[in-house]
Formats: sequence, C-alpha cells, structure tokens
Amino acid sequence: MSDQAAPHQGFASRYRNVLLGLLAVAIFFAAWQAVFLFVPFNPLFISKPTLILQALVSLLVSGDLLHDLAISAVPFVYGFSSAAVVGVALGIVMGWRPRVGYTLDPIMIMFYASPLVALAPLVIVFFGVGVSGKTIIIFLLSIFPFIFNAQAGVHAVDRLLINVVRSLGGSERDLYLKVIVPSVLPYIVAGARIAVGRGLIGVLVGEFFAASEGIGYAIARFGDLFALDKMFACILCIMIIAVALTEGIRLAERVAFPWRVGQ
Amino acid sequence: MPGYIQGRNVNLTFRPPNRGPVRALSNFDIDINEGEFLSIVGPSGCGKSTFLNVLLGLVKPDSGDLQIQGKPIVGPGTDRAMVFQEFGLLPWRSVQDNVELGLELKGMARDARRKVSQPLIEMIGLAGFEGHFPHELSGGMKQRVGLARALATDPHVLLMDEPFAALDAQTRDLMQVELLRVWQEARKTVLFVTHQIDEAIYLSDRVMVMTKRPGRAKTIFPINLPRPRDYEMRTTPEFNELKLEIWNSLKDEITV
Repeated sequence: MSDQAAPHQGFASRYRNVLLGLLAVAIFFAAWQAVFLFVPFNPLFISKPTLILQALVSLLVSGDLLHDLAISAVPFVYGFSSAAVVGVALGIVMGWRPRVGYTLDPIMIMFYASPLVALAPLVIVFFGVGVSGKTIIIFLLSIFPFIFNAQAGVHAVDRLLINVVRSLGGSERDLYLKVIVPSVLPYIVAGARIAVGRGLIGVLVGEFFAASEGIGYAIARFGDLFALDKMFACILCIMIIAVALTEGIRLAERVAFPWRVGQ
Repeated sequence: MPGYIQGRNVNLTFRPPNRGPVRALSNFDIDINEGEFLSIVGPSGCGKSTFLNVLLGLVKPDSGDLQIQGKPIVGPGTDRAMVFQEFGLLPWRSVQDNVELGLELKGMARDARRKVSQPLIEMIGLAGFEGHFPHELSGGMKQRVGLARALATDPHVLLMDEPFAALDAQTRDLMQVELLRVWQEARKTVLFVTHQIDEAIYLSDRVMVMTKRPGRAKTIFPINLPRPRDYEMRTTPEFNELKLEIWNSLKDEITV
C-alpha cells in the first residue's frame, strides 16, 4: 500500500485554468471597446467599457448605486430565505411521504415550468409596489429549485446506509442526523445556486413593473433616459453580484462537502 | 449441545407490493459453534443474504426460533455486526469517523472512541489514512474500513455478506488472507456468505450448501484442512476434492 494521497489537481494547473477564464472575460471587454475604433459610436444607443467604468465609479461615489442595491437587497433576502425554508421543508416532506409527493408533484411542475413572471403584474396589483410585492415575486421564482432538489435529495438517500446505521443500533434520530441530513444538504446547496439566479430575476422584474427605487428601477430609468453608460454599469453590478453569489455558494459547497468533489 | 447460534424452522416470505409473495426461507435450520467460521454457499436468490439480515435483526422472520447464546433475536444488537458487500461507508465521514460510527451511536466519548479505533486502523493497514474520505480509497481499502467498523463495537458474531464480491480477483485473494489473520487474532464467530466455493473452503471450518429458493440447509461440509492456511493449500488434492464435492452438491440447485 502506498503512502500517496489521492491525486489532487496541482496548484499550477488550477491557476492556469482561472487565468484562461479571466482571459476570455478580458478579451470580451477589449473586443467591445475595440469595435468602436472602426464603427461610429453613438452614446444614445450603445456604450463602451471605458464609459461604463466611469459611470460605475460616479454612481459608486455619489452613493446612488449602493442606495439602490440596499433597497433591492431587502426583498431579495426576505424572499430568498423564506423560499429556502419553505421549499426545503416542502421538498423533504414530498420526498419522505410518497403520497404527498404524488399529490403535489403535478401542480409544482406546472408552476415551475411556466414563466411565473407572467404573474408579476397580478402580484403588484394585490400587494403593491413596496417590499411585500417584490418579496412575493422573488419567493415564487426561487422556491422551486429548493423544493425539487430537497425532494431529489431524499429520494437519493442510500438504503444501504440506513441499514448500516440501523444495524449498529442507531435510532430514528440517528438516521435523520447521520444519514438523511448529510445526504440532502448538498442537493439543497445545488438548488440554492439555481435559486439565486431566479431570485435576481424576481428582483429586476418586480422593479421593472412598478417601483420608485432599487437596482431594477435604476436600470429601467437609465434606459428611459438613454443614459446607457449608467444603465450598463447597473447591469454589470448585478452580474458581479450574481457571479459572486453562485460562485460563493459553490466555494462553500467544496469546503463543506469535500466528499462531493470526488463524485 | 445447543449451538452458539441456533435457528429452528425459520420461515420468511416477502410480500412486495404489486407482485406475488416470495418465500425466501423455508424451515431453515442452522447451528453455529462459538468461534467458528461458517460459510454459506447457494444459488443466487436462495435467501443467504436474507438470513444474514434476519440474524442482524433488520428483517423479522414470519415464524421460527432464532437464538444467539440462548437469547432470541428481537432487533439489531451490539453482539452482532455486518460487513456489507457494497461497503456501506458514509461518504461524508473520514476513515476514522466511519470506523467509529458504531461507537458513536453507542454514545461513547471521543477520546474513548479514538482508543478503540486507532489499533483497529493500524491492524487493517490504514494508519496514515485516518483523515481520508471513502472516495479517496480503493475498493480493498474501503472494505478494510468496513471490517474495522464492524469489529469496533467488539461484536461476538461477525456477519459477512459477500464482502469481497465487489473487489477484483487479486485484491480478493489478499483480503481473504487478511481476514483469516484478523479472525485468528480476534476469534469472532463468523458467518460468511459467498458465491465462490474456493473462498468458502479456504476460509471456513464448515461450509453449508443451501437449496434454491425457498432456502434450506442442504448439506454441511466440514473443512478439516489444517490452520493456519496459506495460498498454496488451494492447489492440494484435498482442497480440490472438497471443491468438487461442494460443487456437485451445489450444481443441482442452480438453474440457469
């Protein structure tokens, strides 16, 4: 038997992979910028990275951007966290109790498959322009990945592991804590990554339809004003947040569930 | 003299939903002596594994009498432990935490667990791998962990359900040698289910051939080969004679 650990990806090659990805991003922005060396530039209809960067800096300095982000963050946190709690609970029950699963599956799939954005005007009519309306839209959009992933996680629990813990004298509580929860957790985290994207769509949609502040409202307003550099700055900001959240979750997943990496 | 493990008229029928009932065990009798290594061979689906699950206390028989040291089996207990064919290691636990699982379920404190698991991990040759996760181990290493986990709670009876069937042939040979070494050290009563006649003869004091489903004990062959046994023993005439006898008994039960 050798003393060697299982092969891990070398630091150098990992570094190279990140660089390759960053290179593509850099080329994208450079190409965007370069196009206007050959094409006449009309700031009414398009912007370019240098101007966007200037706009981003000025929005940051003036505090407008942070104000809008703070406004939008409130319904996002409410809607996303309540979707996580309700979705995981519902998903586990649907996975654990087959009859509940069979009963609720069709209606859940119906809602998940349809563009729920269509309901946004109705939600605004019912709950108004404030935090509650936006929270509900975000909740509706981001709950389904939690439901389906928690359900799939329960279904994927290995019967053999249940038998192992039972045969060694484990109680129902042990089964739950030592087998079911660790089995389901990675599924929930994977669901959270999908839910982040859908939740951010909810933020923007809610604020496009009716709002007086917030990052989605800012994007719509700057578009109306043909202030495209500022509009792109806000979009860029949303992109960065989306990437930071999903990648942050992935990083947390690698740290928290190292056994998943090898699967 | 009653057996250390004694089964009389054990019957078990599975009633799966949407399908007809399946009689797994029919008037199954068995006697196992203390410290004995008994192997069970039989055709696929004859109820060998089912019987192990009954002994383990995971499956309740419909009728019959099953005792260990005169005490009837009512559920899982720390006097028995199973080594599973597919290892059954918890993927989110390190080697050490997997070995200590049964101790943890008994409520043993961390330091005390460590005192038990450390010598076991050394015995199975995985010192230095305590922090590794199952996905970082080879099949043979995983089953060593499975064996150490079963031994950790210091059971009297070790149940082994085709423990080496998922391993390649060479690893399997090495694991058999390892198992004999461990058994000679720990002196457990072992009930070993396998499809391989070679393996059964090489390891066992007695080999039991089971009938096709519903499973009963058909013939029991005493294996009077001297111990300690070595690999060369597999080429001796005595070994091959036994192998032929057992095969002749088994082949009538096999339908292809």
